[in-house]
Amino acid sequence: MAEARTVQPGDRTLAYVTLMPSAAILILLAGVPTITVFAIAMQDVGLGQTSGPFVGLENYVWALTSPDFYGALLNTFVWVFGSVTIEMCLGLGIALLLHRNFLGRGVARAILLAPYLVPTIVAVLVWRYMFHDIVGIVNYLLIELGVIAKPLLWLSTTKWAMVSVIIVGVWKFFPFVVLAILGILQSIPQEQYEAARIDGASPFQQFWRITLPYVLPVFILTALLRTIWTFHKFEIIYLLTGGGPLDATTTLPILVYFKGFVDFELGRAAAIAVLTFLILTALIAAYFLLMRRAEARQ
Amino acid sequence: MSVAMHQAASVETPRRHREMTDVHFIATRIMIYLLILTAVSVIGFPLFWMLISSFKSGSELYTTPPTFLPNEWTLQNYRDLFVQTNFPIYFVNSLIVAGGATLLSLVVGGLGAYSLSRFDFFGVGSFARIALLCYMLPEVLIVLPLYVYVIKLGLADTLISLVIANTAFTLPLTLWFMRSYFNAIPLGLEESAMVDGCTRLQAMWKVTVPLAIPGIVSVGVFSFNHAWNEFLFALVFTSSEGKKVLPLGLATWIGQDNIYSWGMLLAGAVLITLPVMVFYLFVQRKLVVGLAEGGTKGE
Repeated sequence: MAEARTVQPGDRTLAYVTLMPSAAILILLAGVPTITVFAIAMQDVGLGQTSGPFVGLENYVWALTSPDFYGALLNTFVWVFGSVTIEMCLGLGIALLLHRNFLGRGVARAILLAPYLVPTIVAVLVWRYMFHDIVGIVNYLLIELGVIAKPLLWLSTTKWAMVSVIIVGVWKFFPFVVLAILGILQSIPQEQYEAARIDGASPFQQFWRITLPYVLPVFILTALLRTIWTFHKFEIIYLLTGGGPLDATTTLPILVYFKGFVDFELGRAAAIAVLTFLILTALIAAYFLLMRRAEARQ
Repeated sequence: MSVAMHQAASVETPRRHREMTDVHFIATRIMIYLLILTAVSVIGFPLFWMLISSFKSGSELYTTPPTFLPNEWTLQNYRDLFVQTNFPIYFVNSLIVAGGATLLSLVVGGLGAYSLSRFDFFGVGSFARIALLCYMLPEVLIVLPLYVYVIKLGLADTLISLVIANTAFTLPLTLWFMRSYFNAIPLGLEESAMVDGCTRLQAMWKVTVPLAIPGIVSVGVFSFNHAWNEFLFALVFTSSEGKKVLPLGLATWIGQDNIYSWGMLLAGAVLITLPVMVFYLFVQRKLVVGLAEGGTKGE
């Protein structure tokens, strides 16, 4: 691609002029804020203030010795691990199903991908209605089917709140995995399967030897991407449980929000945000590394 | 003799083999349909339930056991939504914020993506990667400093603050996707236009942009969807009724936990979903290509 580009007099100017507005906005809205948040994390910001005296690493020390931080960290891992594992398995399964030929495939595809496009607030409203203790359909169906004897308090008990949040998260976001894997499945040359069939390969061998090697790199990249995004998801948990009951679903982003905009301790909130960011950086670095390797192989 | 036996066996095998594959084939078919049916009914149920329930009367929403289809179909919930609440205001605000952020990203990001795709200069590859990195930044990290700026600039409780904040995410999205769309359009087309006497800008405007329109539309849909969905910035930056966007407005109703508002909430949910679904029908086919190749694989 690079050698196909034409470089003519004036091109360089045009190149920079067209890129300038994007660069400026990214610097102002992402670059500067990221630096600022490190600065805020080193200030003792008082109630209702936006800046304060420099206190060095005090906010980090507070965070790293606070049980709230470790509680949120643990909840984040449960939330991320639970959601991503189920999303990946479900997504792979559904993608393999949708890749086959069957009657009504277009309709099935549209319905199965729909949750991804439903706004989060809508997903939350519907599931809150369905999870309702008394009139909710989920409890009704489970009792009718004999799975449970009496209604479960889905969103308001510490035991079930995380499960509920993961269910809603998986429902909303697994179609992303389906889309990613379906895309790669469609790119596998059909001749490879024909050749394998002629050679007498069983369906399982075909999956193991042809499908899997194609799917695996995308599968791993998608899992990483889902991990990154699930890690800093805020609104779905906030709107379903508000981080409760008793902090049972308070993940790191929820903790940042409460520290920053309910307790109005911007400095401490920033310190937690930076720590969250550092954990994420490792994941993002892994993502870029794998992406570069996948591109190099093509 | 051994040859004859061999022949007999080889005549026998394919038929048995075929019968077995037939049985196998039918069994597999049945399994696939069963699995699909289960998946579709479980995954599709919440949306079906939302739609159906939004047409139920207030009292029917709270009956146990719940009715499957409404005994009496009513539009009362939708009427209440428009008469008793600020839903129309939220809707217009959401349109302004999502539309504004999308337009800004498409114009600025479209130009930037063109530059990234067509010119080879120092840092071109890393710029695209930085854009992707920006898209991955946690909202909750950015919201703290942006809140400080919003307060200092006197932009608190304005829609413009939301348009700008949303651009922090929709612009990188546009840059990344549009670059791969532009990459797919052969440079030769522009070159021949330039041979025919077009300037570089004319070639871009008259040749490349029209070809990129499907890409522009689907990137636009993604941006719009992102901003239409956005909640955290709205929660932190705006507070007055007149400035609320849809997600924030509806979230406040849940907060009040008025048990009788479920009908209106579900009707509202249906109406928020509609524009997104209409857009979805537009770009259905593009979704696989866009996400799989633009999002996770790169170019």
